[in-house]
Amino acid sequence: MTPGSEIRPEETDMELIRRWKAGDGRAATRLVGRHSQALARFAASIGEREGVEELVQDTFVRAFASLDSFRGESSFRTWLFSIERRLMLDRRRAERRSRETVPVEESDKVSEYGALDLLIADEAQERVRRSLEALSPTQREVFTLRVQQGMSYREIAEIVGSTEGAARVHYHNAIQRVKEFLSDE
Amino acid sequence: MNECTDIEIREMLPDLLHRTLDAGTRKRVEEHVASCEECTEDLEVLRAVKAAAVFAPTIDVNRVVGRIAPYARITPAVEAPSRSRVVSWLVAASFLVVLAGGGSLLVVQQKDSPGGYAPARPPQTIIVVPAPINQPAKQPTTNVTTPGSTGTHALALASGVETLSDNALRQLMSDMNSFDALPASEPEPVMNVDNGDTSDQGTR
Repeated sequence: MTPGSEIRPEETDMELIRRWKAGDGRAATRLVGRHSQALARFAASIGEREGVEELVQDTFVRAFASLDSFRGESSFRTWLFSIERRLMLDRRRAERRSRETVPVEESDKVSEYGALDLLIADEAQERVRRSLEALSPTQREVFTLRVQQGMSYREIAEIVGSTEGAARVHYHNAIQRVKEFLSDE
Repeated sequence: MNECTDIEIREMLPDLLHRTLDAGTRKRVEEHVASCEECTEDLEVLRAVKAAAVFAPTIDVNRVVGRIAPYARITPAVEAPSRSRVVSWLVAASFLVVLAGGGSLLVVQQKDSPGGYAPARPPQTIIVVPAPINQPAKQPTTNVTTPGSTGTHALALASGVETLSDNALRQLMSDMNSFDALPASEPEPVMNVDNGDTSDQGTR
């Protein structure tokens, strides 16, 4: 495999990583194109309102900078999601700290809801979004990874740092709560 | 509505939604859903949740790739001394300081004896006896024993001090200032000294 050879569409992530390490910049484009939208959807679905694109960028920058530590024990996609999740947690911690010192202004609230309006197309989706917000943070992560990303329980457990059994329990509890929320509305 | 007890099927509903089941399993799940009210409802909820996630900003792939630095293989850095190694060195150094202090004390004691340095004199054994926990705070007791020598309960260095006059004491203090082998730190206070008046007494 040489940097100059064509990239086949079905090439696996590991093959693309090897290409990139060998100096083929197109492999990075293919990897980013393959996973970036899923990362953006995940971030948006678990409440990341602003800076989703920046978050996805940071995820890839960090991932590519530490590719030598990726041993392929999990899939590249799972690894990317776990990096993005850690970045989101860091962001939220930083936001919490800044909220403790800086009072929230009205203009902040307006911009927050403005961005939200872009994500929510209609009333039905607004109800679904509210039902997801009623879940605990871990339930929401597990549920969106399972339902919106179609990940297996094993992959989810790796991303959220839990066990497969715990991921299953979170999924069942989440769907019950979402159904209750939607039937109460 | 009857609650569905087929946990396995219920857990596979998201896979049905994402079309990741093999043909046989998919047929089995679809047949179950067709006859199960709860699973039908679950599937509707899952479809709504999946649909609610499609509105995420479009990521500019080229912009992301532009921020990725070219690959540089990580070379192992020169190993820094580990914390445990540093601690080991500190412990060893402390041990040496304690040894040097003890040795200095012995030299001072021997110098103070009437015969000056007495090489044949057996070494002293110093035992520190901690005070019992439930008693009021008390200084630890130190026994200095010299096997084979006659003993009174007094520190060898200060033997007979109580009989000295003020001038003699001042002279002694002045002499002590000229000692160059004194340890840098003050020795532990000594409460009780056994000069070893029982020849068969070893350490307690």
